[in-house]
Amino acid sequence: MSSGSLDKAGAGSSEPVPAVVFRNITKTFGAVTACDGVDLAIQRGRIHGILGENGAGKSTLMKMLIGLVLPDQGSIEVDGTVRQIRSPQAAASIGIGMVHQHFSLVEPLTVWENVALGESGKLDPAAVRNRIGDVADRYGLAIEPDARVGDLTAGLRQRVEIIKCLRRDPNIVIFDEPTSVLTPEESVQLFASLRQVVAAEDRAVVLVSHKLDEVLHATDEITIMRHGRVVDHLDAGSADAPTLARGMVGREVSLRSERAALGVLDAADISEHTSSSVASDEPPVLQIQNATAKGLGGVTLLNDFSLDLRAGEIVGVAGVEGNGQRELGDLLSSLLSLHSGSVLLDGTRVPDGKSGAMARAGIGVIPEDRHDSGIVLDMTLAENLVLVDQSSVSRRGMIDGSALKDLAESMIDEFDIQCSGPDAPMWSLSGGNQQRVVLARELSQSPKVLVAAQPTRGLDVGAIEYMSQRIGAAAAAGVAVLLISSELEEILDLSHRIVVMHSGRVVGEMPRSDADLETLGLLMGGVVA
Amino acid sequence: MTAGSLNQRSRVGEWLLFYTLSVIGALVLSAILVEATGGDWRPVVSALLDGSLRRPGRWGETLGTAAPMLLVAIGTIISSKAGLINIGQEGQLFVGAAFATYFGFLIGGPGPINVVFILIFGAIGGALWAGVAALLKYWRGVPEVLSTLLLVSVGGQVVAYGLSKTWILLAPLADRGNRNQVSTQLAKNNRLPRPEIFGNEVPFAVLIGVILAVIVSLALSRTVWGFKLRMLGRNPRAAQRSGVAQTRYGAGALMLSGGFAGLAGAAMLAGGGFAFGNYQLVPGFATNIGWTGLLVALVAREKALVAIPVAFVFAGLRTGSSFVGATGVEGRITDVIQGLLVLALLIPPAVMFIRDRKRAEALATDRV
Repeated sequence: MSSGSLDKAGAGSSEPVPAVVFRNITKTFGAVTACDGVDLAIQRGRIHGILGENGAGKSTLMKMLIGLVLPDQGSIEVDGTVRQIRSPQAAASIGIGMVHQHFSLVEPLTVWENVALGESGKLDPAAVRNRIGDVADRYGLAIEPDARVGDLTAGLRQRVEIIKCLRRDPNIVIFDEPTSVLTPEESVQLFASLRQVVAAEDRAVVLVSHKLDEVLHATDEITIMRHGRVVDHLDAGSADAPTLARGMVGREVSLRSERAALGVLDAADISEHTSSSVASDEPPVLQIQNATAKGLGGVTLLNDFSLDLRAGEIVGVAGVEGNGQRELGDLLSSLLSLHSGSVLLDGTRVPDGKSGAMARAGIGVIPEDRHDSGIVLDMTLAENLVLVDQSSVSRRGMIDGSALKDLAESMIDEFDIQCSGPDAPMWSLSGGNQQRVVLARELSQSPKVLVAAQPTRGLDVGAIEYMSQRIGAAAAAGVAVLLISSELEEILDLSHRIVVMHSGRVVGEMPRSDADLETLGLLMGGVVA
Repeated sequence: MTAGSLNQRSRVGEWLLFYTLSVIGALVLSAILVEATGGDWRPVVSALLDGSLRRPGRWGETLGTAAPMLLVAIGTIISSKAGLINIGQEGQLFVGAAFATYFGFLIGGPGPINVVFILIFGAIGGALWAGVAALLKYWRGVPEVLSTLLLVSVGGQVVAYGLSKTWILLAPLADRGNRNQVSTQLAKNNRLPRPEIFGNEVPFAVLIGVILAVIVSLALSRTVWGFKLRMLGRNPRAAQRSGVAQTRYGAGALMLSGGFAGLAGAAMLAGGGFAFGNYQLVPGFATNIGWTGLLVALVAREKALVAIPVAFVFAGLRTGSSFVGATGVEGRITDVIQGLLVLALLIPPAVMFIRDRKRAEALATDRV
């Protein structure tokens, strides 16, 4: 840290002026507080890891630095000067660059064309190519400037993104989940060049990640965020994976007993609920056997995924988002075809990816994104209640309008759906009420299996409580429930058994009674216990 | 509740106001255009009304022109309900008419029965031509917008080839004199009846069109099939999960849509009338009816019953335009008027849609 570039601001003080200081940053989106009084300093010459689960606020914080989001409160200092960063261009002009998790490359164009995009003035291909060569040499990011981006592997595409960022010579570089699309070898290479950026040139590097391993090995200091707050700050040298895992997922909160104390759940319900350890010799209702699915470009979405589910039990699928949970939900919604493996219901194979097959076999789904496959916004509430099965409201192929209306009215009553009536267009309902419509429809089909994916996301406290109760009641009534959630508390609160997903496979499984946060956190972070 | 009904009433008022302003705007623009090209708008309007309604026999002619437009529009509505954009009706209509001609002569049975066959084969021809697009879409992922459109040209060429060979469609030399590329005229008893009402010949096809519009309107809103089709159109992933297979329902809707265009072609062939040749197939037989039917569906906004009056208005512009030439103004000015009217009728719903969504979103975010 002896570089002269620092001295301009830090005259006289023994501590170097940090590259970036966040002071008491708060940002809310509607009712959600993404950042809550965050204080954080990022030093030059070091790699600063920011660790946290989905929704911990780490991305929002970085978006403020890059000018995509403005803080509600607090200030950001860059090199000792308070700055209002209003756009990515403004951020770039004061030397802040970001390598985004999702690539923003134009596939039909070549590498140098992509790098030149966004530059103003006259286009000078030779100069751009030279620049790419320079950057590539300096950081060991070898790349062919004339290759078409569409032909490159994910690792090389990311390299292009990094070069795009570094060619502007930023002083502060942010990497957002950089390894999510990389192979292990590619990750190792990336971190080697990160080191290079930092050590040789005294830049500040921020690495945003949820992977314990890489934060532990690739950074100098680590900040852990949870629910929009900084919960811990430690030196990478003195940290170990269990500490990080605990910090990331938080202390165990005994939500269940809290609720009992508040009288929301009665004691009998709890004891019955938690003690109903389903006999493991009972044949499973749902079996997923060695399911493997591949996406575009051969990316593995599900990797030899196997799971058994018995009647009356709630199995929680924990994991950091993007590790195959969405695909698991899609598989059970007939929206995904398997590469290999099978899904069995009561021992009978259900064809995967065949329209309506899973629903007909008795698998109800509350999808992760209800707008995606859960509801039809342009149809009425009543119609949305019979999307899957119209037999109760139709005769000889004709829909019986009054039967549909009666059904809808009784459901509106039973599930307390706030709306202007059965004919209300679905888009006129609030998110929580749309979710209730989905719940009402799926439960009214008397499913054998209920898949609840992120069932309480974006709902208020009352709605969360309601949803949890309904799911618990369904299991008590003998439905096999698969609860897919990135909220660990929700999983711990409701499940009898917990499996952890990482990279499309099950990396751990345990009964609820044996679950401890440290183990879960390690498994979620991809560290096999 | 009272607030709700009040709201409802003010909304209807809003709609009416919007549409009225918009249409007046289009008419004023059209008048300016007529004036600018050296004409006078009053005689033009008068000529339009004469040609479409007032002169003897003209409203029958207008109804006869409206019938195939309506049939095409109904088919378009079916496919767009399923979320598919079929814009190849012009070709499907022509191929349908060719099928009707070929099989009409091949079977050649006694009068009324053969008329029914002609109509059915017309529908089959149109459906098969749209089926090519459906096959390409669900087998190879070719967007139907492209394939249906491009198949219009292909269809034209295929039928033209048929019209050059006596063993396919070309009439024997004795029947066609020295004309090329014409089919044999349909025999008198193989034509759709044209009963005379108040001095106007009203083609039977009008009745078919109106009845089918009512049936399709009911089928789309009241049957399980219509329900599934709408689900597929509005959210294909929800439909996939719920057992509405894209391939079956989507391909079905596309072929049905083509079938209606083909039926329109057969009805033009067997229905005759001033506008549609002489009960025989010739190149250019479709005379833009397919394209105009598409516009009718666009303006009717997926409502089969609304398509009935819209088809009549568009047919009126067409029959009226033949009288405009006598005023010294270019007859094709009515094409421009038609275009302006289409825009005028499409703008209000678009504006209202955007505004409703914005309000709903604002409400929803308030409530979260």
